[in-house]
Amino acid sequence: MAASTTAPTASTASSSPMAFFLQGETGRNTRGLLRLIILCTIAAAAVASRLFSVIRFESIIHEFDPWFNFRATKYLVNHGFYAFWDWFDDRTWHPLGRVTGGTLYPGLMVTSGSIYHLLRFLTLPVDIRNICVLLAPACSGLTAFASYLFTSEMSDSPSAGLLAAIFMGIAPGYISRSVAGSYDNEAIAIFLLVFTFYLWIKAVKVGSIMWGALTALFYGYMVSAWGGYVFITNLLPLHAFVLICMGRFSPRLYVSYTTWYALGTLASMQIPFVGFLPIRSSDHMAALGVFGLTQLVGAAEYLRSQLPSKQFQTVIRSAVLLIFVVAFGGLVLLTVSGVVAPWSGRFYSLWDTGYAKIHIPIIASVSEHQPTAWPAFFFDLNMLIWLFPAGVYMCFRKLKDEQVFIVIYAVLASYFAGVMVRLMLTLTPVVCVAAAMALSQILDTFLVASAPTENDADTKQANGTPAGANGSIADKLSSALPDTLRSTKSPLVGIYSYLSKSLITGAITSYLLLFVLHCTWVTSNAYSSPSVVLASRLPDGSQHIIDDYREAYYWLRQNTEPTAKVMSWWDYGYQIGGMADRPTLVDNNTWNNTHIATVGKAMSSREEVSYPIMKQHEVDYVLVVFGGLLGYSGDDINKFLWMVRIAEGIWPDEVKERDFFTQRGEYRVDDQATPTMRNSLMYKMSYYNYNSLFPAGQAMDRVRGSKLPADGPQLSTVEEAFTSENWIIRIYKVKDFDNLGRNHQDATAFEKGNKRKKTSAKRRGARVLRVD
Amino acid sequence: MRLLQWAWLGLISFAAADTNVTHESRNILPSTFKPPQHFRNVNLVRNINLEKSYPRETINVVVENIDDQPQSEYYLPFEQGTLGRIGGLEAKDKKEPGRTGFTAEVVEIDPYSPTEYYKITLPAVLPPKEQITLQITYYVLSALSPLPAQIGQMDKQYVLHTFSAYAPSSYTTLKQKTKLKLPTADVPDVTTLPADLNAEGKEDPQKQGTTFTYGPYGEREAGAIQEASVRYEFTKPLTHGKLLERDIEISHWGGNIATEERHWLTNRAAVLKNHFSRVAYQQSAYYNPPTHALKEMRFPLTAGSVDAYFIDDIGNVSTSRFRTNTRESNLEIKPRYPLFGNWNYGFKVGWNIDVKDYVRHLKGQSNSYILKVPFFEGPKQVEGIEYERIVTSVILPEGAKNVRFETSVPLVSNTTGLHRTFMDTLGRTIITLTAVNVVDEFRDRDLIVTYEYPSSARFMKPLTIFGGMLVVFAFSWVIGNLDVSIGKKQKTA
Repeated sequence: MAASTTAPTASTASSSPMAFFLQGETGRNTRGLLRLIILCTIAAAAVASRLFSVIRFESIIHEFDPWFNFRATKYLVNHGFYAFWDWFDDRTWHPLGRVTGGTLYPGLMVTSGSIYHLLRFLTLPVDIRNICVLLAPACSGLTAFASYLFTSEMSDSPSAGLLAAIFMGIAPGYISRSVAGSYDNEAIAIFLLVFTFYLWIKAVKVGSIMWGALTALFYGYMVSAWGGYVFITNLLPLHAFVLICMGRFSPRLYVSYTTWYALGTLASMQIPFVGFLPIRSSDHMAALGVFGLTQLVGAAEYLRSQLPSKQFQTVIRSAVLLIFVVAFGGLVLLTVSGVVAPWSGRFYSLWDTGYAKIHIPIIASVSEHQPTAWPAFFFDLNMLIWLFPAGVYMCFRKLKDEQVFIVIYAVLASYFAGVMVRLMLTLTPVVCVAAAMALSQILDTFLVASAPTENDADTKQANGTPAGANGSIADKLSSALPDTLRSTKSPLVGIYSYLSKSLITGAITSYLLLFVLHCTWVTSNAYSSPSVVLASRLPDGSQHIIDDYREAYYWLRQNTEPTAKVMSWWDYGYQIGGMADRPTLVDNNTWNNTHIATVGKAMSSREEVSYPIMKQHEVDYVLVVFGGLLGYSGDDINKFLWMVRIAEGIWPDEVKERDFFTQRGEYRVDDQATPTMRNSLMYKMSYYNYNSLFPAGQAMDRVRGSKLPADGPQLSTVEEAFTSENWIIRIYKVKDFDNLGRNHQDATAFEKGNKRKKTSAKRRGARVLRVD
Repeated sequence: MRLLQWAWLGLISFAAADTNVTHESRNILPSTFKPPQHFRNVNLVRNINLEKSYPRETINVVVENIDDQPQSEYYLPFEQGTLGRIGGLEAKDKKEPGRTGFTAEVVEIDPYSPTEYYKITLPAVLPPKEQITLQITYYVLSALSPLPAQIGQMDKQYVLHTFSAYAPSSYTTLKQKTKLKLPTADVPDVTTLPADLNAEGKEDPQKQGTTFTYGPYGEREAGAIQEASVRYEFTKPLTHGKLLERDIEISHWGGNIATEERHWLTNRAAVLKNHFSRVAYQQSAYYNPPTHALKEMRFPLTAGSVDAYFIDDIGNVSTSRFRTNTRESNLEIKPRYPLFGNWNYGFKVGWNIDVKDYVRHLKGQSNSYILKVPFFEGPKQVEGIEYERIVTSVILPEGAKNVRFETSVPLVSNTTGLHRTFMDTLGRTIITLTAVNVVDEFRDRDLIVTYEYPSSARFMKPLTIFGGMLVVFAFSWVIGNLDVSIGKKQKTA
């Protein structure tokens, strides 16, 4: 062995001046510097790949929820932290309002608020919007760094961490939630998740209170940032529990777990939205239970070390088991009696994918809560998905405490990712880590392994171990051929040869390149649309921006009363609050199902029914999204059935989903549409005046692909106030009560009747003439 | 003394910049004030030009000193509500247009007084019995009101302008005439005045094409008013800028001048009778009839402008075009939606330009520079735009001193202060100039700023940043070397 280690040193040292930088103390420094540079480059790549939307469109907040976060951040920056903490928002959920300060995870806003104030302190005039837009990419750079640290704890290979970092940096599964402008809790939470796991592993490995406390600190930060913290709350206890079950209980585990649990729970309870949940809700009971278990096992271990009697050990073991069972029974009892809150609905929907559809249509109506389709795994993770099992297998080969964590994480996250599209996000880190471990193993095997020298082979043969296929071939060749032939000394075949090395590295490199290509393509095509702004191509290939949303929202913002209430489906609530700055009835917070159902009922009922509802809620404007002209499929008519379903959940007698389907069970908008459908406010508002754009009888709905009835719907209680350029947003003004106390149908009929009366009077006049 | 310092010079404002001093511009006189009858208007011709969305009045008057002392202060009265809407009042000698030194300022008397005055100071005293021909021009903002106030989307718009057939005067006027220039011959209503008022016995107004003439009238005492109004077709937007904020930021390091203008526009045109109909609007797009909606605006910028942007509160507006070449730069923007009557639109436009195009080194003085920029740019519309208030800020480089400025736009206040941005330590000198009631015809007026920028100030920022980094590194080195471990340090093998 000594020969094999000294030989390359001698040869390289003499042959290349680079050796100075690669060997010994300087070498370590050089490698450290290189690693730092590579990590910085990875972070830069992670940030850069998320900037598609900024370059293509502009620095804009995307989609729906980010608009609320942005609005909340502006509130925090303008009014200060305490006002934010006590924020009661009367501009949403009119007339109920929302205790916003107590019902949000403030981590994201506080983070960007602090960055804003830091930059202000340095007198850098950066707009808060740009901070919000670029927070997610910046955090993804940090996530890449965190996954480097995390993986380096898992694997001895120097390349595993770097590979994990770059995978994490560009995996579409994570990019989907962290492109520039996607200012959502996940943006910062994934970094915190990975970093908390890293700290946890470090704590378990070292067994120090400091690392445990750091874990708790970042756990607290995570709790303040995302509801997904429950994942950590359950994963860490599970890890501890499995370790205990495997008989790996150690003081290290005891110290790190108890430190984390005690401090972490205290930290999490500081968030008003979480409050006493950690001791009141079932979601958090596992952590508490394992905390108790650790104490018991710790006590038992201590006793065992003091009392070596075997019988005593059995007594202790049974006592531990008994206490555990009693505690568990107590927990069940508490849950049944209602002291501890049962599992939340969203949690049930994780176990039973059909649960939400039956019980909570509002959860089921969200697209990101749907079960994942299998191509999505390839779409979001590409080659990582087939490296992932290999990586998990590698963990089994060297199953230390930290590898157990990866295994548990992998199993749980895979399940959850299969249940809900959105949870692909929690799977991505472990996939990246496991895949990096597998890939680094392959690379290490082929790149680092050097051909054993003949001495080596001799000693090995002498020791009786076979020296591998090529070794023996080389031996045979060298014995058969004279030493003078140089080609025989370095054979062309075998895993030590340059050919095989270059083949494998070539293949891996091309896989990696394809992976980069795929990630770029997916990011650019699937995840970089702000969805507030739509893009289309003109015939000459130039980009045409369809900006109807902002056109209409800006119109509302500039030309209506600041207190005008806008009723729309809840999807647009946050956008109206953020861009139009007008009070809304319902928004994406969806905390009050009845209120949403009320809006659903107003939209799906006849005008006579809707009008009193709108008047009771002081609605001034109604906003609908209509994609019929442009073929924009995400419009309200397509979402309409969910409104009906949610309304039916509260008023089963008044709104019936069946009434919106034809006899043959079809959902139609043309002249075959059911009367309920055609009389619903939503239908009328969507198609009002639409057919006057077309020649008579030619009106086409380009989304549903159907020809509309020749006579357009008539409206009496609302009037068209604004329609955007491509008709995507239509805003209606709710009429005030009639001056003469009539209902609006009568008033409209009377006004029309006036004209009819005039014509009939003429006819009567003619008749009179004839009689005469 | 104080009063003198406060008084701004109407035509030419010239002020030295002191730190954080606001110069206010009003003279306060006792409420019993009546202009002394030193003058007599021998002959007066007033032209009211209504071709744009704001009337421009030009008064050509032959003034005679009837006092036995030489006099130089000529007062022009306005009704209380009107004075706040008068803008750009300038006077000059009609016979010697090149003669300078005329100043015009508002004289504030009493908040309850029905009449307020502009005081025009002649460059030289007028001896007794001497005459001078003054040409006084001014604009009246928010003067046109649509009648009917509610019209359909495709209807013609008619506006009403109310005025006095006698020119405003604090002095006896011997002979006068008021001429209206209308943009169209479609004039459904105009006040007719009986022939016995007219000096020549004609019934007013006398029409000649699109010009309507009231008068001539004989001797009228001071403050005589004869109400008249005209209602004519004006199917164009009445664009009204509530506020225009303009920042000009000069960077010698970057060799760049960044300009940003923030506009808050409203259309004072007739309100839509029914609500906005997209169908009708789209149909009209094909034949593009005249409309009272503001659909687009054109900003002719200085040639060489680059990087133009057009954004509003919720982000970039994609409907803009920026054409630039060596001869001209044009920014054409379309608001997100057409502005109908009473609709508002707030937006920002900005662009960059090479510092060499605007800033020159002063000859002879090594560190002195002179900046010449338009006081405001804003859109240039055929029908005109009026601005209630324009606030122009010039942000000079950090360390600029001895700042002096000069502009021919009548200002109401100017402030000098400090503005901290982009890692400034001391802050940059910023001068903020406010003008009220300005119309877009003033967009060619320049603002000239001279300042000293010593080369020592140039290197202050790099040195500060270098020092800051040094401190950070030193600090982190010290922190990194602290040993805070508990117990003995284990030696690693």
